Amino acid sequence: MFKKVLVANRGEIAVRVMKACQEMGIRTVAVYSEVDKRSPHVGLADESINLGDPTPSESYLNIKKIIEAAQSVGAEAIHPGYGFLAENPDFAQACADSGIVFIGPSARVIKLMGDKIAAKTMMQKAGVPVIPGYHGACQDVDSLVKEGVRIGFPLLVKASAGGGGKGMRVVTHENELPQAIESAKRESQSAFGNDSVFLEQYLDKPRHIEFQILGDDQGHVIHLFERECSIQRRHQKIIEETPSPLLTPALRETMGKAAVAAAQAAKYTNAGTVEFMVDGNLRYYFMEMNTRLQVEHPITEATTGIDLVKWQLRIASGMELGLKQNALSQRGHALECRIYAEDPANGFLPSIGTLKKVQLPHGPNIRNDTGVESDFHVSPYYDPMLAKLIVSSENRPESIDKMIWALSHYVVLGVTTNIPFLKQVLDHEQFRRGNITTHFINDYFKDWLATKRSLPLDAILALAVYDALHPQREEVVRYKEIDPHSPWRYTGRWRMGV
Amino acid sequence: MEDGGVSSVFINYEHDSHIYPVTVEYRDDRFYITYDNNEYTILATELSPGQLKLQLGDRIIKCVISERQDSKFVFIDGEVFQVSRIELTGKKKAEKKAGDLNSPISGTVVNVKVKPGDAVTKGDVLMVIEAMKMEYLIRAPITGTVAKVHFKEKDQIEIGQLTAELREKEA
Repeated sequence: MFKKVLVANRGEIAVRVMKACQEMGIRTVAVYSEVDKRSPHVGLADESINLGDPTPSESYLNIKKIIEAAQSVGAEAIHPGYGFLAENPDFAQACADSGIVFIGPSARVIKLMGDKIAAKTMMQKAGVPVIPGYHGACQDVDSLVKEGVRIGFPLLVKASAGGGGKGMRVVTHENELPQAIESAKRESQSAFGNDSVFLEQYLDKPRHIEFQILGDDQGHVIHLFERECSIQRRHQKIIEETPSPLLTPALRETMGKAAVAAAQAAKYTNAGTVEFMVDGNLRYYFMEMNTRLQVEHPITEATTGIDLVKWQLRIASGMELGLKQNALSQRGHALECRIYAEDPANGFLPSIGTLKKVQLPHGPNIRNDTGVESDFHVSPYYDPMLAKLIVSSENRPESIDKMIWALSHYVVLGVTTNIPFLKQVLDHEQFRRGNITTHFINDYFKDWLATKRSLPLDAILALAVYDALHPQREEVVRYKEIDPHSPWRYTGRWRMGV
Repeated sequence: MEDGGVSSVFINYEHDSHIYPVTVEYRDDRFYITYDNNEYTILATELSPGQLKLQLGDRIIKCVISERQDSKFVFIDGEVFQVSRIELTGKKKAEKKAGDLNSPISGTVVNVKVKPGDAVTKGDVLMVIEAMKMEYLIRAPITGTVAKVHFKEKDQIEIGQLTAELREKEA
């Protein structure tokens, strides 16, 4: 096993990976940009290296700086987390060339799967179903428009190198297509350095269901069941759960086998995810393979009892996958909510600012994966996801109730968050019934506005008490004249009352 | 407290353009709060800074409050309210920033589709702003002519800044 691992990421995922390392007795190294100097991931690490400029290309996306950092501290391996360099084959290759183990699949596999077109062609050959579309090399707007018209509308324009909804557009009419293609290409160029797009038929009642995969260097591949990730806004997941309320045991088994077949076709190693779309008639199609640890991996951990990050580390260090498919089972039900600093009532625009106070909910089977704390500044440089909240229970209805309870006790003051929105989604009748598709947010929450409530009496009373306890400067002077021992002059913890 | 050492504070809270005038008085270990012609007698404990537990009759109110220079945040029953205090002199509310041409986000201008003098139709894309790798489109709120364009490609833009100005088409 490694003695020292560098984590080339920030936020909750860097924290999560470091904790697994530390439990296994591995020393951890953080890298950080100037604005993250006081972030929890830096505080947790045994060593840390300043990458400087917060611009991603100068920090968390800078291959040269990160490799040099790893070499300077003698880290034998790098865990990329998700996002940033996690699916960058050049980075995996640069690690290999520098004699550093990249904790993830090989550069070859990342490159293959990063090319969504080549990946689909390969899956088709391996007998895994794929969605009708255009995955060709003609990338000029006119040819793409022609192909789009052939496939028909609604149509999905997607970045070949994409992920996370970036560079993705849904087009309902031919006249919107050129603008959508241009815009998707630009977004893709800026996010991934590649402006290739593909077109695909847009499915009816589509659900996004993915399978977790683990593969080792000895050629063993297993799946750890599915994750239902249909609840998305702007094509980014916000609520994930497992098991999926849609899958029957038979379909689960079929899709699990297809996922394993897909991973084997690619000679996949380490942790990965095979994404499928499932339509209203329970037909499933291979979408893409994510060659990294997923944001939503904790729900799989909660229901299988397997620590995926520890297995990533073991596999990367050459150990054999000791888990057998038929020994794995799902227990109970788990839900994850992604807590974002964003305003759901205003197009989910990110909300920038300082977190004045963060208080996490605690209780049985409640897991907080977070990379922020009170006084943390949410900067415009990085993704506005603050934390993940994961709960598990015996069954789905209990998980939903537990999650609503936990969200109701989740305090984030200082920026707008999606917490009230998440609660309403979870409490929606159709969500409770399990009738969810990737259109769910658009169908039921399109013009959602936080229930405009006037300031409740309780809040007014609390504010008045608070202001009495914490008088402003000129008030302190006034009260001092009255009584130097008055509790108006708040100095610390004190009680009043009975 | 000494005899006669009673003092009250008048506070005007503002939330979502509404003003809530409150009087609060502390005597005999109790807070006496007057709001909307009612008086409430409250026992209070500050469990930790900003974490309050109030007792109003047989009702317990729990909340978390934090502040920054211009406002306070109150977390109560799973909801967050942002409230500011305003002076009795009755300062006028900050004028609402007009129009749809202000940038919705701080980011980088990646594409400017128009130049001064261009005729635009309502809904046309004027500018594309990128933030956190997502694109936001600034569209013409009216049909008319472009009078000014305040940013060029690769410029940094802050939330609320005016992207461009349009002259409405004359009838």
